[in-house]
Amino acid sequence: MAYSDKVVDHYNNPRNVGTLDKSAAEVGTGLVGAPECGDVMRLQIKVNPATQVIEEAKFKTFGCGSAIASSSLATEWIKGRTIDDALKIKNTEIVKELALPPVKIHCSVLAEDAIRAAIGDWRKKNNLDEPAAAEQVK
Amino acid sequence: MLKVLDSAVPVACWSCSVAHNESTLFCPDCSKIQPPSTGDFFSVFGIERRLNLDLAALERAFHRLSRQLHPDRFVRASASEKQWSLADTALVNDAYRTLKDPLRRTEYLLKLEGVEMGAPADASRALDQKTNLLEEVFELNMQLDEMRAAKKAGQRNAELEETLRQARKWNAGRVEAVDCQMREQWTRWDAGDAAARTAAQRELVALLDRRRFLSNLLRDVNEILKD
Ligand code: FES
Ligand SMILES: [Zn+2]
Repeated sequence: MAYSDKVVDHYNNPRNVGTLDKSAAEVGTGLVGAPECGDVMRLQIKVNPATQVIEEAKFKTFGCGSAIASSSLATEWIKGRTIDDALKIKNTEIVKELALPPVKIHCSVLAEDAIRAAIGDWRKKNNLDEPAAAEQVK
Repeated sequence: MLKVLDSAVPVACWSCSVAHNESTLFCPDCSKIQPPSTGDFFSVFGIERRLNLDLAALERAFHRLSRQLHPDRFVRASASEKQWSLADTALVNDAYRTLKDPLRRTEYLLKLEGVEMGAPADASRALDQKTNLLEEVFELNMQLDEMRAAKKAGQRNAELEETLRQARKWNAGRVEAVDCQMREQWTRWDAGDAAARTAAQRELVALLDRRRFLSNLLRDVNEILKD
């Protein structure tokens, strides 16, 4: 399959690959998998408790090129955003940015799910209530 | 995507005009080839829609149809008959490949039944099971990465290798367990009424999800332990 230049770029130079301390209070970890293909992705965020700004984001993805590119891009996008802003990121924006073909849409969904899971984990750790609307399970 | 013609509606043969209910590739009366079938893969072989299949019978049906569709038999046929025979050949191959494989057959039948994949209705339990599985899959993948790095550097990490060997054994066992559970659900589906079928379908979706993660993992572990 032909990957777009942007996918190839993220694939060859993935941004923000790595691990944050899972046990730290300011770190949220999202581990998600795509049942369609069996690929897995972990995305972690470090949130400033005062401002709720995501100061750091790391990922590790075992999966296809599109999933790696999607998660790499996702970490770039969420860094510097507030939690609420990060939740607004839709997989369709990732699809557009990376020019993913229809069969690779689920790879971008994985990245969106990972952001949500990481934020959910961080909220749970810090006993913050989830705003009902934003956390609506699709 | 998949259109299934109501088989109760009789279709008249273009050649002998005898109507038949079953959507077969050939007319049961005059044995002329019929326009491309709109039936599902099961009807291609004239078998019931079920998950426990007699694989030997399926293979025989496949060979019989392949013979009947052989191009040599259509040398003097009309242009449309030739075209139909080619379309049928592709269909028969596709149908055979799908039905003989246990996982693909299960996926296909679920799709026919309109079941949405990867969306288990029993969400909470499935999620629970899945999170544990995901964690394991992820951990093992990390170890695989480590192993790859070691290999690249020309080192041997005997301890890690042993861990992976254990993981392989453990996961092969789980694949077997999943397959066994899947066969139980097949039987439940085949014999069940609508309610039992819906329940079985739900289980099958979850089992297939699990199976995909395990298969990927096993493939990667095997790949690295190969040499
Ligand atoms: S193919 Fe599985 S995430 Fe892309
Ligand atoms: Zn006829």
